[in-house]
Amino acid sequence: MSGGKIRVGIVGAGRMGITHYAIINSHPDVEVTAVAEPSSVMRLFLDKSVKAATYKDAETMFDKQALDAILLCTPPALNHGILTAAHRKGLHAFVEKPFLLSVREGEELAALFDGSRLVNQVGYVNRFNDVFVAVKRYLQAGLLGEILRFRSEMYSSTVVREEAGEGWRSSHANGGGATYEMASHAIDLINFLFGPPDKVAGSRLTHVFSKNVEDVVSSTFAYKSGCTGALYVNWSDASFRKPTNKLEVFGRRGKILADQHGLKLFLDHDDPERGFKRGWNTLYITDVFNSVPFYVRGVEFTAQLYHFIEKIKAAEDRRTMCSFADATATLAVIDEIFRDAAVIEKEMV
Amino acid sequence: MSTIDQIVFGDNQFFGINHMSQDKAQQLAERFHDLDAIFSVYDAAIDAGLRAVMLNSNSRAAEICDRFRSNPSRYAGLSWYPSIPYPHKYANWVAEKGIVGTLNDVLFQKGRLSGIGKLAQGGLALMSMDIVRMMKMLVDAEMQMFDGLNIKVVFLQNIVTDLLLGLDTADIFREYCEHVRRKYGAMPGLITQNMPYLRNKLMEWGISGVVICSSINKIGYLMSPGVEAYKQALAENDPEAFPMMAMSTLASGAVPPKEAYDFVNSLNIQSVVFGASSRPHIEETIRLIK
Ligand SMILES: NC(=O)c1ccc[n+]([C@@H]2O[C@H](COP(=O)([O-])OP(=O)(O)OC[C@H]3O[C@@H](n4cnc5c(N)ncnc54)[C@H](O)[C@@H]3O)[C@@H](O)[C@H]2O)c1
Repeated sequence: MSGGKIRVGIVGAGRMGITHYAIINSHPDVEVTAVAEPSSVMRLFLDKSVKAATYKDAETMFDKQALDAILLCTPPALNHGILTAAHRKGLHAFVEKPFLLSVREGEELAALFDGSRLVNQVGYVNRFNDVFVAVKRYLQAGLLGEILRFRSEMYSSTVVREEAGEGWRSSHANGGGATYEMASHAIDLINFLFGPPDKVAGSRLTHVFSKNVEDVVSSTFAYKSGCTGALYVNWSDASFRKPTNKLEVFGRRGKILADQHGLKLFLDHDDPERGFKRGWNTLYITDVFNSVPFYVRGVEFTAQLYHFIEKIKAAEDRRTMCSFADATATLAVIDEIFRDAAVIEKEMV
Repeated sequence: MSTIDQIVFGDNQFFGINHMSQDKAQQLAERFHDLDAIFSVYDAAIDAGLRAVMLNSNSRAAEICDRFRSNPSRYAGLSWYPSIPYPHKYANWVAEKGIVGTLNDVLFQKGRLSGIGKLAQGGLALMSMDIVRMMKMLVDAEMQMFDGLNIKVVFLQNIVTDLLLGLDTADIFREYCEHVRRKYGAMPGLITQNMPYLRNKLMEWGISGVVICSSINKIGYLMSPGVEAYKQALAENDPEAFPMMAMSTLASGAVPPKEAYDFVNSLNIQSVVFGASSRPHIEETIRLIK
């Protein structure tokens, strides 16, 4: 660190890179000193309007700039190489989901970063959403009793026309498709709330508009505890103007219906400790939100990056709310879904 | 400097925007599918004495503007507070084509925007343009639909304001303000969820004469970093330099109207933008704002 500030480099100044730049730049202990981005148009824009120096790739940036941490927002197929180089330089790393495309590489990098006590975090932002954090708290407190069933769903109108099949988003090998891009959030939410499933079954991938990748994914998750969950993610549903997350949890003593905006809770008992009554209770986001120091895209986006910085400053506990190991567990579930779906697909022809 | 209207009638209620409930938002969207339904609410607002309208340049704004223009005898006295751009349009565009691809489409594909037309597409054409010219073209593209209306303030949507604010791009803000003053004879406006931070930055950059519109409610919803910082910034604020406009006063319904406006009235605030979809609610709100 120089002059007390944490020097941050952004790798990949696309949609997420620019958003993260704006958020982290508001942090009083951070200085964004460099950006690596191959697009010359984007570099030109940055050169004219922001303070950070720009480079055409991460290697050059690492060579020329002394950094403390990176925010990695490139197409995921590139992440392994860049993270290995970042580790050699001793940099803390925040990486956009889905982190990587291979469980083996995930395990390797988790071990490398944890072994060097480098802060590592992946952008599964639901873990910082005030509603889902509240759900986690209620489940841990046993409010619903034994959990028997859940559903994790996501909808959006991201792809609602025939796709040309170009760009990094149009192949699995590059991390495209509704599973890597969108369902990964819903799967990670499941891992966060209930832990990874013991078995994945009945997985289906459906093409609606995309040529080479799925637009809809569904699956069933089984747990040795007896719990069962369903995943359903559709990014070609034009009836949703905004991306929407829906979660339903059913337990012996009640149920929870939640989305990013609030939650409904049905209980078979009074819960004076938290002020809930038997029957229906409603909590809006306005009841559970936490203010963040700077808002760009949502409270959770700021919260996750400020958490990353907090962990860099922490002397002791540097494990983040969403570590490389956590994201690797999510990748393992995705692998299982693809494997399971391929088996079923074969049986159908 | 022209003063801004004390009460401005907003548009969220028409477009299925409700931060609290997706079901409620959907109901509203269905009800206002019909332009007549939208105009019966505008008419109620005008009958109740309102003379100022804030409208986002979304996919329905053009037809709304057309209808306002087509009845000058009824609507001529209105002041307009457009907000640009329509974020969802760009969000989907950028998701599909990337940032550079989107800029290309917006600036070049539609020849109507400039003399450049289709000839000069591609990265090279973008490279040859300066950022300021690009920004002006983007603003003008969004403003086309408001042509011929009496524009008082042109607001930049919070998603854009706060992104550029985080990036610390002083020049873009400065040029935006100049462009709005020169080309539209209007005051520049900035919508933000970070009012105290924005106000400090504008002062640091030496930019003033800008209307700042931000959420103001006593529970601190969508107010970063928090209520106390807002109260302090408002108390210190010179309304000549930064006329303040309050939005989200009811915090999506979490604060009852009486309480909400008692709070707003107690602060150094020059204007309130609110949305309501029934005559009684419009009239009640006007009574409560002092
Ligand atoms: N958390 C969320 O909600 C969320 C939302 C959108 C995207 N994402 C994730 O963020 C990541 C990036 O997505 P995006 O939407 O920003 O994509 P994008 O295509 O807009 O941006 C990727 C950027 O990386 C740049 N790039 C390519 N190769 C590079 C290299 N070798 N070095 C440096 N930069 C390079 C590209 O030029 C581009 O600017 C993906 O993993 C995506 O899944 C997360």
